[in-house]
Amino acid sequence: MGFYKYDVNRYTPKQMVVIPLILLVLALISVGVTWAQTGLPVKPGIDFSGGTAVTITTTQTDAQIEAAFSGFPLQPPIESGVLSGSKYLKFGTMSDAQLQDLSSLLNTMYPGAYTIDHVGESFGQNLQSQAILAIIFSFIGMAIVVFLVFRTFVPSAAVVLSAFADIVMTGAVMNFIGLPLSLGTTAALLMLIGYSVDSDILLTMRVLKRQGKLEDKLAGAFHTGIIMTSTAIAAVIAMLVVSWIGQITILLDISAVLLIGLIFDILNTWLTNAGIIKWYVTKSEPSAQVKAKPPKPEKPAEKPVQAKGKSASRKEKK
Amino acid sequence: MNRKTFMNIIKDWRVALLIILVVLSIISIGPHFDENGQFTTNLQFGLDLQGGAWLQLEFKSVVAGFETDQPVSQFIGNLQNMTDAEVIQVTENKLEIRKLYTQDELASLFKSAGGTLTTYDQAVSPATGDDVKRIIENKINILGTKDAKVNTLTDLAGNVKYIRVELAGVSMSQAQQIIGKQGKFEIRVQTTGNQSEHLIFGDSITNVGVPTQDPQTKAWGVSFTLSEAGAADFQQGSIKFGATSDPDNHELMMFLDNQTVYSAPLSPDLAQKLQASPVRQLVATTGGGTEGLDAAKNLEIHLRAGALPVDVAISGSGGVTAERGVQTQYLVLLAGILALVAVGVVVFYRYREPSIVLPMILVNASEIIILLGIARYLQQLDLATIAGLIAVLGTGIDQLVIITDEVLHEGRVPSANLYEKRLSRALGIIVASAATVVIAMLPLALMSLSTLRGFAIITMLGVIIGVTITRPAYGRIIMNILAK
Repeated sequence: MGFYKYDVNRYTPKQMVVIPLILLVLALISVGVTWAQTGLPVKPGIDFSGGTAVTITTTQTDAQIEAAFSGFPLQPPIESGVLSGSKYLKFGTMSDAQLQDLSSLLNTMYPGAYTIDHVGESFGQNLQSQAILAIIFSFIGMAIVVFLVFRTFVPSAAVVLSAFADIVMTGAVMNFIGLPLSLGTTAALLMLIGYSVDSDILLTMRVLKRQGKLEDKLAGAFHTGIIMTSTAIAAVIAMLVVSWIGQITILLDISAVLLIGLIFDILNTWLTNAGIIKWYVTKSEPSAQVKAKPPKPEKPAEKPVQAKGKSASRKEKK
Repeated sequence: MNRKTFMNIIKDWRVALLIILVVLSIISIGPHFDENGQFTTNLQFGLDLQGGAWLQLEFKSVVAGFETDQPVSQFIGNLQNMTDAEVIQVTENKLEIRKLYTQDELASLFKSAGGTLTTYDQAVSPATGDDVKRIIENKINILGTKDAKVNTLTDLAGNVKYIRVELAGVSMSQAQQIIGKQGKFEIRVQTTGNQSEHLIFGDSITNVGVPTQDPQTKAWGVSFTLSEAGAADFQQGSIKFGATSDPDNHELMMFLDNQTVYSAPLSPDLAQKLQASPVRQLVATTGGGTEGLDAAKNLEIHLRAGALPVDVAISGSGGVTAERGVQTQYLVLLAGILALVAVGVVVFYRYREPSIVLPMILVNASEIIILLGIARYLQQLDLATIAGLIAVLGTGIDQLVIITDEVLHEGRVPSANLYEKRLSRALGIIVASAATVVIAMLPLALMSLSTLRGFAIITMLGVIIGVTITRPAYGRIIMNILAK
């Protein structure tokens, strides 16, 4: 696994922060442009803009499906699940009568397994404004908790900044791959706000509240943090694969966004946040920096096989 | 692990609590075989996992804030004349106008009625929302549709913006028919015993009032008006079948879809009046007290034959076939198991030590079981909640990793004293990150319009259960195992 070869201590804070910073600027541009075009940072899906979504299970080809629904405002492309024969279709706005017709067509043509969901435009608008408010409040709430926990400006701001970068970069990728903002993806973004600070908090706690060499603390935090994000990614991939096979849209949306976000979280935690916290600590405690330099910090103390904990007392005195 | 270690673990109250809760949760989930030999549980599934349809209705009505220099009743009277709509005062400075106007239209109407529009909200008051909810529930009950849920969705101003109806086991078009359908209302007169004769149908009723209380008798009642032809039919039938001459043995009976909803004799003075001429204004009394009021409320609905006091439009709808629902159930179960396995593989890759990984996975799984056990009373499981569960699984294992690494730091666990210190330090990190998850989910849990409340509630609940129950217990388990 390549992740484990990354040595948090090899680079200077400036080197660490530069890559994510460039990405953040690019992401902000992408999100900003979409905002100017659609009034939202990410293009809205059916949940927010109104429309109808249908999932059917069929052996028909896409052309046959298009013919079957020719009387309705079907919007290409048709998305297909593998192995399951599930197809996901989107329709533009329809009248109530047309919707009834569509429903009866589904009943007769695809009587077995189908789902249909219709959202009216005004309801979508209402949902959308609530969703945006939810994201903003959620972010502010998270920031307040972080500041309450650490009570110092730079480390708290670093955590909040990397969470912000997670969200913005994820939004940019969503725009790039055409994943719309829906109820599901909004939920995933909110979850990301909560999730992504997990490893940031671990990093900051370890570095600020423990004694010992900065290098050891960073390496230890990385060792733990990377496994946390990896397990989360593993769970999300499982969800992604199954929901892709069955075209379970809401799960697919949630897991895709989480996956993108968690990958950015690795970047933002171990480059952005780690860079800032390293700069903060070396700046405010120059003496610790001098002490921390000797021979080579080769993560010596982490293997469980080591001496039975006697050496631990060195770091435990508070 | 030897027996002694095992007993040590079990004896710790945190671990004991975890085990007790898991057992209780399994009982609460109640896996069993039903009479057909099908495996089933007490868990409630949402529409997307069992099949059914939902409809969401918006109101063609406005709740508007107002200011006026005139007496309020005069202002309302002016409005009523100008709009030809029912205008009802909700609070001191809020009106419900039961007709849809745009904000601009309403502002100019308010102006010419001698006031100003201060707020505009396409919605109905909570009281009207409850009425609509009750009427729809009644309608569904009469049709005998099982497993129906009717919920009002309230906005931040406290007005009811939407009403959401969920019906298990029907298709979307069936659901629209059920909700759109008017009942068949009929008034009949008792002849002998159980026999009765037809008097009028519901279409003869031109107006239905709200329940009112008689100031003298204190009895509640609902007034209704008959059309001229209806009143004539009513009079002739009453006389013909003896309801006027012998009211007590010839009661008037009201039917909705062929079910008796009301039955009472004519009052002596009405019987006398009917002998002479048709009567158009009638009152059906239901008795005193809250019982009488409830009966009157129901009677009002029945007299309206299921018609809603406010016009509605469909703002969203959807349906899932039962087959697709079951398919989805299997898929999410598969996703859950795969997620657990994937997480297990990753932590095994990291620790290479079954005595660490196994408890981790077991504690993680127990967290999900407890969550399901509690969720059964709170929340039906739909796809969004399942996503919440899988997210809980992901965060849960993260925090177990934090505990393990914190405790294992610098090798094997040392003295119990030092261990406590490390564990509490790990719990510090965990509580901080749990707090952020709860805060991040809070807006979604409060967002009344969305279908994602279940997701948010489950995620928050999962985090809280984790912090208070499963993670402390895991701390104990891992201590005993490592101390061997």
